[in-house]
Amino acid sequence: MNNRNLKESRLSNWVSLAFRLGIAASLALIIIGIIILLLTSGAEDIQPLARLDQMPAATVISVGILLLLLTPIIQVIINIALFSISRDRLFIGISVAVLCFAALSLAIALI
Amino acid sequence: MLLCRTTPLDELNLWALGGTGLVAGILGSALGVGGGFLIVPILTLALGLPIKVAIASSLVAIVANSCTAAGMYTKARITNIKLGLLLETVTIPGAIIGGFIAAIIAPSILSAIFGLALIYAAYTMITPKYLTSEDNLSTDNSIAPNSTTDNLSGSLANSYYDQNLDKVVTYKVNRIPAGLGTGFFSGVLSSLLGIGGGVVNVPVMHLIMGVPMKAAIATSTFIITITAAAGALIYHYYGHIYPFIIAPLAIGIVIGARIGVELTQRARGALLRRIFGVFLLIIAILMFLKTANII
Repeated sequence: MNNRNLKESRLSNWVSLAFRLGIAASLALIIIGIIILLLTSGAEDIQPLARLDQMPAATVISVGILLLLLTPIIQVIINIALFSISRDRLFIGISVAVLCFAALSLAIALI
Repeated sequence: MLLCRTTPLDELNLWALGGTGLVAGILGSALGVGGGFLIVPILTLALGLPIKVAIASSLVAIVANSCTAAGMYTKARITNIKLGLLLETVTIPGAIIGGFIAAIIAPSILSAIFGLALIYAAYTMITPKYLTSEDNLSTDNSIAPNSTTDNLSGSLANSYYDQNLDKVVTYKVNRIPAGLGTGFFSGVLSSLLGIGGGVVNVPVMHLIMGVPMKAAIATSTFIITITAAAGALIYHYYGHIYPFIIAPLAIGIVIGARIGVELTQRARGALLRRIFGVFLLIIAILMFLKTANII
């Protein structure tokens, strides 16, 4: 029972850390991108299609969004690593399946 | 890849987009309903965005919101990570399929389906005997996590410390096939409508699978992170992701979620939920009117 609780605790800690770091990093990039956009263009006349002078801002924001969408996928990889350490074959398999489906959606997006 | 797209969209108001995210984040976290039910109607009805762009933007904002919440819930050890991973094996394929369905059906049909989903969400808010925040467990559901009844069910059994009850709550997970079936459906809905899917996940986990309410909400939030991300990636494939729309929305919703948590402590939850339910009904009517081109 204590061993199981320790494993669950470790899993929770690492997963929580992955989410918090991922969201912090992605939001930081998005905020930096917004600041660049406001400094270069101001808050007026912003179109969804980025102009040339707005490319740096759009690039930074895009990287932030990509990191945001990758954060849940990264936590699945962490889960696989932790289940491998604890030799939980059932949940290694389940986590790998989740990762495969997530990777499929990422592959489709990048086509 | 996300930068250069031709578009019929008009000039963006960054403050309006940020405000939309802020309101969605506050109400979403205060009332336990995902921000998608607010974001999509506001973006379409008030800001005039095409519904598929609104749905795509909502999905990314939901990822931001749910990752923030999931980080807190897992740290508090309320989330049933193993159950979440198991259900993700069906919600993600559902989200992928939902994204493809959304791409091929007419925007007016999407609006109508969204209106129906809003009516259901309003019902869950207004109905007094709907899920409460207190965990009322039947005694036969309280079982030690090392149960040997069933391998998978035993693996999914879990426990957490409930601050309100000031005790450790232990539970087992039942009816896994039913959870998997409805999980697929929640994934499809999530991607189709730009919502998190919690409106399906939480009742299923709580009422059918026997998961206590708080653990169901926390686990649903965990599931939503990757489900919504998968859906958003499919929308990106179809060119509906716009960084300048998503950026202020994501910032607003994360800030709003933090504020919403504070409000939850102080406000009368039941009254807020009913007021919000009526508001959702009004929005549903507006969505149907828009579908019929009356507004």
